[in-house]
Amino acid sequence: MEPPRSSGVGIDNSGEYSPEIAETLRFEEEIQSLIHPSSFDGSAAPTGGGSFTALLGLPANQAVELLHDSGAREPLASRIRVGEHPVHRPFHLPLDCSSAFPSNATLVDRAARFSVFAAEGSPASSSGRLKAEPQDSDSPPLDPIPTGPAKRKDTGRSKAKVTAKKSKNAEENTDGDKLPYVHVRARRGQATDNHSLAERARREKINARMKLLQELVPGCSKITGTALVLDEIINHVQTLQRQVEFLSMRLAAVNPRIDFSSLDSYLSAECGPVTVRNGPGGVVVDPSLWPTDATAEATRRLLVPQFWHIDLVPPQLQPQQSLTTWERDGAAHSQLLPNPTTSLFLYDPANSGDTNVPHRTAKLKTAEDRALNL
Amino acid sequence: MYRRSFKDTRSSLGSPNPNFSKPMVALRFLRALSLVRRSGLGACSPSYRARGIRRAAYACMAASAGPRRAWSRALLRKIRRRPGRGLRRPRAVIWRHRPVGGGDRLEVALRRLVPGGGCMEYCRLLEEAADYVKCLAMQVRLMQTIVDSASHV
Repeated sequence: MEPPRSSGVGIDNSGEYSPEIAETLRFEEEIQSLIHPSSFDGSAAPTGGGSFTALLGLPANQAVELLHDSGAREPLASRIRVGEHPVHRPFHLPLDCSSAFPSNATLVDRAARFSVFAAEGSPASSSGRLKAEPQDSDSPPLDPIPTGPAKRKDTGRSKAKVTAKKSKNAEENTDGDKLPYVHVRARRGQATDNHSLAERARREKINARMKLLQELVPGCSKITGTALVLDEIINHVQTLQRQVEFLSMRLAAVNPRIDFSSLDSYLSAECGPVTVRNGPGGVVVDPSLWPTDATAEATRRLLVPQFWHIDLVPPQLQPQQSLTTWERDGAAHSQLLPNPTTSLFLYDPANSGDTNVPHRTAKLKTAEDRALNL
Repeated sequence: MYRRSFKDTRSSLGSPNPNFSKPMVALRFLRALSLVRRSGLGACSPSYRARGIRRAAYACMAASAGPRRAWSRALLRKIRRRPGRGLRRPRAVIWRHRPVGGGDRLEVALRRLVPGGGCMEYCRLLEEAADYVKCLAMQVRLMQTIVDSASHV
């Protein structure tokens, strides 16, 4: 008789036992082995690993086999935010949710390109529940876990496994962007240490972003070396900010001649349908996401009704003449404008020669002065 | 004035999140400009107006970039905080992920340039910087166009 497991039994592993005791002990062992999987199952059920077997198109028993192989180890899901490069990493069938994957959300940007899975693990050593787990694993993906300190990683066991499935899974995972957990396999010949994996992913992410920035900033593509690129970027940002300041000064000097108010009303009418087309959801988004606006200050409340009141006036006053001026000048000025992107600018010169908007009331002026109080 | 332009543009326009909606920025900016102009036709001095225009420019930029961006939120907060608030009460800013050390001089400089860059991780900082640069460039082009067309006629 083999000695009983001391785990749950609490029996000394010393000496021999009478057959009955041994029998009972063994029985207990079996029961425990049954219990554990079921306990795993209980905890794994809500957390399963996404329908990976479904994704993989593997029949359940193969998955079971794989899971068996991966066994119950200290499974770690690296809390890695995978970068943008399509890296070939061997698969690891995660569903060994056998791994106690912390619900650490390892958010994946381009999970699709990687042979990664989202899984949430609970130590399920036995594989019997795999069928249940795959389906359940869909639930956690929507569940981004706060960035805890626990970084875990799959200790690469079955690295060689499922490499064939890599491509299939990559395709299947195109919508895996939402999957929060990433099990990343180390590349061949690279350290599989927790930290180095995480660092590597982070470095890749940073490099990808740097490349993006390089593309944005003109003249940065030729530069090699992070420091110089960063330097160039900083210079560019400073230049742009200085330009904004300079242009605002020029605009301030030029401003008195320009009449924007009628332009405003026309443009809002013009762009009303456009905005609806562009972002109907935007209107919904904004009020909720700009809570600071809700705390309306007194000046704003004061100003708004006035604004609307005033704005209504010009359209009635000059609807026809503004239209005619636009028609007249639109063609003439279309070549004048360097900017081809928007048609709004066609209207600019049309209005610049218009009569000045009559001075506003003193009340409005003081209110706006308050708003402008710098 | 920029506040006003926010409120009414927000209610009437909504803001599509992608940054490529230049007409939106243009519209907002023009509205803001008209408000500035209406504020007593050049409230006292060109420099005063220039400052107002600059704030309007940044505000429009941030508003059209959308609330999803950290820099736009931070920028608007900064703009709206100024009048009257000062240091009235110590703001309990939750510095999430306070960056460690800030060793790189370049990194620190970038943090200072990008609004809201004080408490972001490096990767996010780069991301936000890219978006910020894009938006800034658009705004500059817009303003340049306006000035050009204004001074031509």
